[in-house]
Amino acid sequence: MTFRVLDPTPEKAPPIGQLAPRLGSLRGKTVGFISNGKEGTKGFFAHLDRLLREQHGVADVVMRTKSNYSAPADPHIVAEIRSWHAVVSGIGD
Amino acid sequence: MPLDSRTYEAADIAAVQELYHANGWTDGLPIVPPTAEAVQACLDWAMMPADQLIGVEPVRGLAVTAEKLAINAVMAGCLPMHFPVVATAWTAMMQPEFLMHGATASTGGCAVLVVLNGPIRLELGASGGFNALGNSDRATAVIGRALRLCLINLMDVRPGAIDRSTLGHPGKFSFCLAEDEEDTTWLSLAETRGIPKEASAVTVMAAGAPRQIMNEWTTKPEEILETFAAEMRANLRHYSIHPGNYALIIPKQLREHLQAAGWSKADIASFIHKRARIHRREWAEVGKGAVVRDRGDSVYPAMESPDQLLVVAAGGPAGGFGAVIPPWLGHKSHAVTVPIGACIDCEPPKQ
Repeated sequence: MTFRVLDPTPEKAPPIGQLAPRLGSLRGKTVGFISNGKEGTKGFFAHLDRLLREQHGVADVVMRTKSNYSAPADPHIVAEIRSWHAVVSGIGD
Repeated sequence: MPLDSRTYEAADIAAVQELYHANGWTDGLPIVPPTAEAVQACLDWAMMPADQLIGVEPVRGLAVTAEKLAINAVMAGCLPMHFPVVATAWTAMMQPEFLMHGATASTGGCAVLVVLNGPIRLELGASGGFNALGNSDRATAVIGRALRLCLINLMDVRPGAIDRSTLGHPGKFSFCLAEDEEDTTWLSLAETRGIPKEASAVTVMAAGAPRQIMNEWTTKPEEILETFAAEMRANLRHYSIHPGNYALIIPKQLREHLQAAGWSKADIASFIHKRARIHRREWAEVGKGAVVRDRGDSVYPAMESPDQLLVVAAGGPAGGFGAVIPPWLGHKSHAVTVPIGACIDCEPPKQ
């Protein structure tokens, strides 16, 4: 017996997202960090901040923390992303 | 309106299973083939057109139609009469205060607890008796499973994809129970949350695994409830200090002692609110001294207010047991109660 069965997924759903074009170099650029605020982010981002400035010539690192670590970034943080050349979003688990 | 989903052909039932497993469309268990006839029967029962918008997921903006929901409900084993409950529960989960994206993506690994109230429990044969938190009956088993399949297939809540749970728990297969409204003098959970007794309703809560308690050596309400409160204090110490909706499942044996003493659900909630709280310094006793810092004297209640306690009458008739179901992240995700659509042509409820 042949079954004709239906696709259970949202076939027309937009893709979750896609990566922005890669930067050729980080030198002189501004990089934003979006932390979810968990304890584990502190040491990681502090170390990454140092690496980016000392080894990659990043001009400025901007650190922002979400108000709710289980929800999307706050609108004012999302709006600020436009002023950065690159962004690193990290969880602290 | 005709169904709009892509159709696949499979030579036999085994091929159907392999098709769905291979595409990551199951929870690991076999599914019921979602044929157009079975899906249309669900939509007809609920009087929903296939393209009816059930909701838009608030974070990612994903629109969910009745057709896609019904496909997953059929796969879970739902009959048409189960589908309105699935649709209502999904509506509840999409409310912003439930924080569905966070609750289903979190490393915390919670499940969606679903509590059924009102006449629909009896129509569906949903049992709040024996094994209430387990495989008690067909209706609660398939309704709970349908919601998980919807999360997997409609929201990409697959382990390692959106679902980042460290452990999860068995309730992620299905976590639905019906309140035993016939064998209690208490108001139903839905009534305590503002739904009329004559209406059916669904309550959803982002919930950890049940923590079972036992106290069959007293009939005093204060002593019985102290055991529940102690389990909640243990959760505050061992898991999360954040307050929120806790559910207490109180089976008949303990329930009858409380009812005989004249304790209502509101009385229970008031007592639990006073007793289920810890000092932050207690974390040092369970290996978490590093985060006590200078706030050891701070007091952390399990609930911000008594009305955050969801008291549910359910469970088999014998045994001095009960269960505490803790929240996932209580101060961020809140339980939501939604009535199941009323039939405007039906007779009014009998007086």
